[in-house]
Amino acid sequence: MTPQEEVENLIARVAMGDRTAFARLYDRTSAKLFGVCLRVLNDRAEAEEVLQEVFVTVWNRADSYRINGYSPMTWLITITRNRAVDRRRALRQPPEPIDTADLLPDSTPGPEATVMAQSETRRINACFDELPRARAHLVRRAYLDGDSYADLAEATGINLNTLRTWLRRSLIALRECLSR
Amino acid sequence: MSEHSSSGPQRPDGDDPRVTAAEFAMGLLSDAEARAFEARMAEDRALYDEVVAWQEHLADLMLDEVDAVAPSPQLRKRIEARLFRSDAPPFWKQILPYGFGGAAAALVLWLAVSSGLVNPDEDAIEADLVAELAPTPEGEGLVINAAVDTDLGAVQVVRVAGDAPENRVFELWLIAGEAAPVSLGVLDDAADSTVITLPQDVMAELPGAVLAVSDEPPGGSPTGAPTGSVLAAGPLTAS
Repeated sequence: MTPQEEVENLIARVAMGDRTAFARLYDRTSAKLFGVCLRVLNDRAEAEEVLQEVFVTVWNRADSYRINGYSPMTWLITITRNRAVDRRRALRQPPEPIDTADLLPDSTPGPEATVMAQSETRRINACFDELPRARAHLVRRAYLDGDSYADLAEATGINLNTLRTWLRRSLIALRECLSR
Repeated sequence: MSEHSSSGPQRPDGDDPRVTAAEFAMGLLSDAEARAFEARMAEDRALYDEVVAWQEHLADLMLDEVDAVAPSPQLRKRIEARLFRSDAPPFWKQILPYGFGGAAAALVLWLAVSSGLVNPDEDAIEADLVAELAPTPEGEGLVINAAVDTDLGAVQVVRVAGDAPENRVFELWLIAGEAAPVSLGVLDDAADSTVITLPQDVMAELPGAVLAVSDEPPGGSPTGAPTGSVLAAGPLTAS
């Protein structure tokens, strides 16, 4: 069984109320999902609260997994990331400042691009490498850290409409690259 | 990624639904925009597929970028307690005020017992965690001590003073953190001392956890949660 099939199988058993499968699914995925919570919230106690909510949701909603079309880790990561972002917004945590040096046009690969070059060559990473460094940074902040447009405007001092236009252009470029 | 049915030439910063799908997937839309997008998505399967495709790519990014970090070891138990024992009354809240009193004389006697001076039958137990279970108002006069041998995986409970009411038994519970009480077993009403084997999965949670004794019908609680009064409780500490 591939790791993906294993997680899928565990979710299917959880949907039938199998508590042993729930414990195994937790053991198998909780560290990665906790990493997602920490990335967004930067606070262990808050991150653990969210992780609890995530697994309660997984137990209660596992039966909806089969029909929603996601791969199993995407389903889990999406639930986790969205919960963590909701929590972050409820807490009104201020965004981490973005060094404007990060936003200067630069043809050399940024630190993120270097990291990505070392990791698996997933399509999304290759497409990020095609974006200007500053644009890639903003998209990554929006998804990985859960920054809203308002957060990004505050963190950079850039006008919100300008920022949204930049980000949407970056998303179009990513979309074009992903469909190639 | 599937081509969206209504995609075509778009202004680069215009209202490309594929990009709105990405903004939706990333939670960047305002509440009103998100509701409007959901309404469109309900009518348009291709738009839904577009969102799923973005989620897949973005989750790949998250998988690559985020390190796995182990949460606290007790978290799974807390989640399971919340899901599977939600019918249990939060009785540990009512015992905690009573759980930390001292009964020095009882402890002295207890140490004598646990070292085999008083009850040599149980000298297999080498305690590394002990608890004095202080009586609650309902358990007045009761003196119960416990010693855990974590190597042996067993707890010895000694009733120093006090008996169970007629046709009732004492049941021992473990309360770790915020989790619901876990039954460890029923105390032998014919003997002053009972040795109970501990489930393997509670061993890591013992230090600092509270032991409690409740009053139950013969055979123990029928529900898996304490049904009678809590008579005594105290925390496990290193001996």
